[in-house]
Amino acid sequence: MATIIVGYFKRLGEDLRRDWQLYLLMLPMLLWFLLFLYKPMEGLQIAFKDFSPFRGIAGSPWVGLENFRTLLDDQIFIRAFLNTITISGLGLIFAFPVPIVLAIMFNELQSELGRRFSQTIVYLPHFISVVIVAGIVINLLSPTTGVVNLILSSLGLDRVYFLTQPEWFRTVFIGSNIWKEAGFESIVYLAAIAGISPTLYESARVDGASRWQMMWRITLPCILPTIIIMLIIRIGNLVEVGFEYIILLYQPATYRTADVVSTYVYRTGLQGTQYDLATAAGLFNAVIAFALVFAANRISRKVSTTSLW
Amino acid sequence: MSAVELNDVVKRYGALEVVHSVNLNVEQGEFVVLVGPSGCGKSTTLRMVAGLEEISGGTVSIGGRLVNRVAPKDRDVAMVFQNYALYPHLNVAENIAFGLRVRREKKDVIDAAVKEAAAILDLTPYLARKPADLSGGQRQRVAMGRAIVRKPQVFLFDEPLSNLDAKLRTQMRAEIKRLHKRMGVTSIYVTHDQIEAMTLADRIVVMNGGRVEQVGSPMELFLKPANAFVASFLGSPPMNLLRATVVSMDGEPRARIDAADAEAAVLKLPRASSASLRADQRILVGLRPEHVAVGMDASADVQEIAATVDLVEPLGSEALLHTRISGQSIVAKIETPADVETLLQIGRLQIPVGRLHVFDAESGRAVNGHA
Ligand SMILES: Nc1ncnc2c1ncn2[C@@H]1O[C@H](COP(=O)(O)OP(=O)(O)OP(=O)(O)O)[C@@H](O)[C@H]1O
Ligand SMILES: [Mg+2]
Repeated sequence: MATIIVGYFKRLGEDLRRDWQLYLLMLPMLLWFLLFLYKPMEGLQIAFKDFSPFRGIAGSPWVGLENFRTLLDDQIFIRAFLNTITISGLGLIFAFPVPIVLAIMFNELQSELGRRFSQTIVYLPHFISVVIVAGIVINLLSPTTGVVNLILSSLGLDRVYFLTQPEWFRTVFIGSNIWKEAGFESIVYLAAIAGISPTLYESARVDGASRWQMMWRITLPCILPTIIIMLIIRIGNLVEVGFEYIILLYQPATYRTADVVSTYVYRTGLQGTQYDLATAAGLFNAVIAFALVFAANRISRKVSTTSLW
Repeated sequence: MSAVELNDVVKRYGALEVVHSVNLNVEQGEFVVLVGPSGCGKSTTLRMVAGLEEISGGTVSIGGRLVNRVAPKDRDVAMVFQNYALYPHLNVAENIAFGLRVRREKKDVIDAAVKEAAAILDLTPYLARKPADLSGGQRQRVAMGRAIVRKPQVFLFDEPLSNLDAKLRTQMRAEIKRLHKRMGVTSIYVTHDQIEAMTLADRIVVMNGGRVEQVGSPMELFLKPANAFVASFLGSPPMNLLRATVVSMDGEPRARIDAADAEAAVLKLPRASSASLRADQRILVGLRPEHVAVGMDASADVQEIAATVDLVEPLGSEALLHTRISGQSIVAKIETPADVETLLQIGRLQIPVGRLHVFDAESGRAVNGHA
């Protein structure tokens, strides 16, 4: 046993000496991880304590899983958790494929100028701050002055109070998110498509494939590994929903469908100063996210030989 | 009727013309090789036949049908690419079947064709493998299989062997030749390797700078090159070309080798070319390395000439002598060589006058009765 450990450190030392430049390059990243991701984990103990800022972390008594029990008994938390999954799940179904379709469409554009132009247009919203996007959405959907409602009423339809009716929240949220991010996310797929050897298409052309067949039989299968990796990442984020954007769009009237775990944490923890409960909720979220990524990766490795690790 | 006919075919990229008025008739069942240095327009010409490159001028016909404006898939050609162009996500069988599948052939027809092609190409054990798990030679054969199952009028090959190592290349070369014998399909084959061209071709098309330099059977080109470019392109090592000036001696034209500081040697010239030479004409005298001899008796037809041997490269059954005549280098290839020390001391080479080629230095064109 001892010899194995000694051997390990000896090899590590040799590696360090030989590739020290590479390790040096890795150092800042490592420090970043330690400082900003691992060090704060110390605070996670709060989730298992009856925490009070006056007593400090060390001074607060341990309560085991008490905080988690409270959470799972809390209807509001359960609702927030289910909302998170629902919004992410719907996003996965409706928003995930859009950048792929966009990338393929860009790729089919013949004119170089037209392609640049349309790409730039769909990238742009990504660079607009969510605060502004929320402002635009609220304006567009305003029941009195919003363009959407003006059009609806000019068609003789009833005005819709989009932002105060819970049943509209998810549509508005996911729809505007697609508008904002789909173009930018398509870059990844465009890069993957650019990596496909052009002779594959030339060969297919000589062999008699139509554009449609080339898209289905060459482009899509060739970018499938990229799609799967993006999907795994997306599944890992299933329990994370754009928190600022929800805060900007939701209001107590729409909590029923709009309140998610992160907004719940924000309200109970920072506004309600129940730090222990909020930490427990955050940890709960993280554990589930980890399980999801792990499972997705496992499944992907089985069925497609592509995986993150 | 020619299987493939190119008439004054031109390719331009904007204002840049890269293929200038190429004419070529490929007969039914013929194996024609386009050969030439890198960038001379071989691939471009082939791709115009395939339809992958627009034709800027002239006409291309396949099987008597004008195809200038016909899509690649409707030209009834199959193409094999240098990098194989195999679909990484499909296995060998699916790759071979691709062309038939996109044409919506019946499943049993496809299966039979794949099976037959696999048998011809020794690919049967690998049908379920992905391209990534195959060797270079096997991938090359899959690419050929994909072309074969299409049963096209014309095969087009663009440097199909240049990604393989030397040994495999020789092996695959023989295989392609066998395949052509067996199937008899008209083929146009692009390579920059003159040995590939010599061994595979019924007819060779030598290209240079976007122009066809000469078309003919391998031996025709080898024995009667129409110009200095073709002469120096075919043959390994390449033909020696000595810069010289025509002088008159004993009422006959001779070649005085241009010499900077050494003494200028004078060479007799073959009778066939004598008539068309004039005094002071600048010429290139061509001599194949294998025609230079050592230890042969001088006679009316064999001229002896002083030479210094710089370097000897023994290759086993033969040796290459790097020598100098009047300061210009000449490579000689001799069979059954003596030991290196003896060869270094030789001092004289024998040159069979009848074997000399004469080219005009300016135009590069052959000056002789060969034309
Ligand atoms: N898209 C293009 N725009 C401008 N010039 C081009 C383009 N494609 C090719 N060329 C030029 O056309 C000429 C012929 O190219 P081609 O690919 O036919 O050469 P090649 O004989 O096949 O050479 P190699 O043996 O290296 O493959 C080259 O000089 C090349 O620079
Ligand atoms: Mg080429």
